[in-house]
Formats: sequence, C-alpha cells, structure tokens
Amino acid sequence: MSTDTITMPNTHILSNFEEALRSLRNDALMMASLTERNLENTRKGLFDRDEDWCNTVIADDEEVDTLEVQLDREGVSIMLRFHPLASDMRNVISTMKLSVNLERIADQAVNIARRSRKLIARPAVDDLIELEPIFHYAETMVKDAVRSFADVDLELARGLKERDRRLDEMNRTFADKMTELMTRNVDHIPSYMDLIFISRFLERIGDQATNIGEDTVYAISAEETRHIHHVDG
Amino acid sequence: MIKTMDSHPPHTASPQSAAPSELSQARADFLKVCDFDFYYGKKQALFKINMEIPQRQVTAFIGPSGCGKSTLLRNFNRMNDLIDGVHHEGDILLNGRSIYDKKIEIIALRRSIGMVFQKSNPFPKSIYENIVYSLRIAGVSNKRILDETVEHSLRGAALWDEVKDRLQDSALGLSGGQMQRLCIARAIANRPEILLMDEPCSALDPIATAKVEDLIHELKHQFTIVIVTHNMQQATRCSDRTAFFYLGKLIEYDETQKIFTNPGEKQTEDYITGRFG
Repeated sequence: MSTDTITMPNTHILSNFEEALRSLRNDALMMASLTERNLENTRKGLFDRDEDWCNTVIADDEEVDTLEVQLDREGVSIMLRFHPLASDMRNVISTMKLSVNLERIADQAVNIARRSRKLIARPAVDDLIELEPIFHYAETMVKDAVRSFADVDLELARGLKERDRRLDEMNRTFADKMTELMTRNVDHIPSYMDLIFISRFLERIGDQATNIGEDTVYAISAEETRHIHHVDG
Repeated sequence: MIKTMDSHPPHTASPQSAAPSELSQARADFLKVCDFDFYYGKKQALFKINMEIPQRQVTAFIGPSGCGKSTLLRNFNRMNDLIDGVHHEGDILLNGRSIYDKKIEIIALRRSIGMVFQKSNPFPKSIYENIVYSLRIAGVSNKRILDETVEHSLRGAALWDEVKDRLQDSALGLSGGQMQRLCIARAIANRPEILLMDEPCSALDPIATAKVEDLIHELKHQFTIVIVTHNMQQATRCSDRTAFFYLGKLIEYDETQKIFTNPGEKQTEDYITGRFG
C-alpha cells in the first residue's frame, strides 16, 4: 500500500516535543553512566580491598535515585503533554523502564559494596579471585545493555538473554564451589557466605541488564521478547 | 440490506426489534472498496483504493487535510453524486452488492448508510420531529411507531434522559453536544447498516466528546461505524481498525493497536508521531 514518491522529515513539527524527548534520553544516558561508574567503583572496593571505594558507592547511590525520580517525572510529563505514539511511545516507555533497571543495578552495587566492607574487615580469602570473571561478565553485560539502548543496536540487545543464561551457570558453579570450600575451611565460612551473596547480586545484575535488552528490543522493533524461554534442541 | 426500487418502505417493523445485522454473523468485508479511483472533474482525489471494512466494528480514517478520507467516506453513501463533474472507477460493495447497482434506490442507500457531520445540523423543528422526519417522508404515520422510534433512537444516542420531558421543544435549543447526539439519533432512527461520522467531535468540548465516544462504543454492537478524525487519541480510543490516507492513497490499513504502536509504513509513523511536514 505504500507510495514510493512520498518523503517526510524526521524531526517533530513540535520542537518542544523534540526537546523533551532529547532531554529524557540524555538524562537516561547520564543515569546509565553513573550506574556504570558505581559498578566500577564497587569492583575496585571488592578486589582491591579498599573500603573508601565501597563507601563512595554507597554515598553515590543517591545520585542515581534522584535521576530515577527525574526520569519518571519527565516521562509522565511527555505522556501528558504530547501523547506520544508509535516509536515515540515505545521510546518513552522503554526509557522509563530502563531507569528502573538502572536504579536496581545501582542498588545491587550498593549491596556488593556493603558485603565487601564485611569481607575487608576479615582476613582475605584467596578464593575471591574466582569471583573476578563473574564480576567482569556481569559488568560487561550492563555496558552492552546500555550501549544497545544508546546505539539502537537490536542484535546487541537480543544477545543479552543468552548471555544471562551463561551468567546464571557461572553463579551456580561458583556457589557450589564455595559451599564445598565451607566444609573444608570452617574459619572462613562467613567470608564464603559473603562471596556467595555477591555472586548472587551479580547474577541479579545480569537479569536487570537482560531486562534493559528486552526493553530496547521493544523500543526498536515493538517485539515482545520477555518470558520467552529458550528450548534446547 | 439496501432497499431496491421494488422494496417495501422502511419502518413497518417495530423499531425496538434488532437490526438485521445484529442477528447474523459479522462479515469481514461488509463494506468492500475495490480498485476505487475518484475524480473531481479532471483532478483525481482517490487512487486505486482497496479495503475491506468489517461489520459491527469501528474503522477510523486518519490523514492530513485533503488526503481523500472524507471523499471516500462520502462515496460510501454516494453523497458525492450530488457534486457536478465527479466520476469514479472501480466499485464499492455493501454486503457483497455494488452501491452503484442501477437497481438500488439512492434514498434507500442513504437510509442504510447514515451520516453524521462535523457540524451538527438539526432541522429547525422540535426534537421529536427531527427524529421522525425521515419516517414521515417515507409515509409512516402510525403514532405508536413514531413514538417508539423516537424513544428507541434517543436512548440509542444516550440522549433520552436529557430530553424526554421536552420532546416538543426546538432542537436548536440543545447544547452542541446534545445536537450532535440528536443527529446520531436521527441517523439511527432509520436503522441503518452503517454509520459514517465525519469528524463528529471536532466542534465539541471534552465532556460532549467523551459522551459521543462512549456512544460510538455502544453503537458498534449494532452498527458498522466509519469515523473520520484528526484526533489521534480519538482514533486510538474509539476504533478497532485504522486507515491512514495521504495524497489520495491508502498508505496503511491495520488494527488500531498495530497502527499506533508499530506502524508498518514510514509515512504512517511520521504522520502519527508529528513528523509530517
């Protein structure tokens, strides 16, 4: 039914609408940047056994919380004033959901920082190094989730679900190993418990990065990919 | 069904009985437009329109001014025949039968396909006489039938409770929203198959608009409704399917949810998101 002779501009006739959408997107990217920074600082606190970094992460969480509220306000304001439709509507909805997931990731970073402070207060356990690949994997998933949103990269967004399954497996393997170590090193049981919790927080971060990927897929293509489970074979 | 020249006059049955279409299974191609071109003199206004409008659903026509949506609407009851120099190619079928069939009586066609306009246009008569006007023209004089038709139509248009005690008052004393609902009542007094609405709420305040939209939602159980609107939110609220027209062409026609969430054509996306220049 389409006609091949019709061309139309890509900017909104309402410049206020264009500006409001741009502002919403910029604030979302700012929030993503702060969340990534908090996660990076958490890593420094945990692996360098640096309590200052842990305290910084806990303090900086407030910035992310403030931006979450601001993004909510902006999104509601856009819906109220401009009644976005089609790709505009999908972008506003996805951006508001992105902010919820970023806030949860930042909360997980705080949880890890708190557990890290407890670990730091006790003698170091060599097995901490086993957690490094899991941390790296989860952190990369967050970066790629944000990049898929920022760059409108459908394939990168789609790939996160499969990567999350790999992260789940890494978490299970790690928890099994720590549980087994507890039976042999009873003195370190509290530290092993903290490491299991931290691994679990990282697994949750992977879930939230996957949510961002699903919302990005919806924003780009209107495709619903939530709760679609992979069947082997 | 459309009356032919040898049909009986309408309204011999009780107005409270169900419309024929209510009893049968809804037809997906109740109103079918086939390769339809339309010209005002030498100027072509519609280009090869093909679409099927389902029975007992609300179909919205959207598009910028001059895109042809009202022109197509006015072809459905052949109102455009009244304009000098117009001609068409292709066909429009109502329930499988061409509306251009020479055996079809045009007055009967317009009873079958009622129309509500942008500006309400009640006759300078009483509320009662506005409703029964077309029945009187058709020769119905039985007071019981006329009274029943008035009540049935005004109830159908959600106006009965507001005017039942002043049916003999002038229709021109009603508010804008009431006048528009009176026009809808007048249209459904003919027990049409289809109701065409050409921007029916554009001159109404939000409350009156909400009442008309609510009415559209109720009426679609009995009638097939085609509504032309410039209000995107109204199209999303009221319609089951939406057609986007541009420069006389049907660009996209799909379920309303699909059109306003994820349109298939870039032109549709640009128009409904306000990128249309």
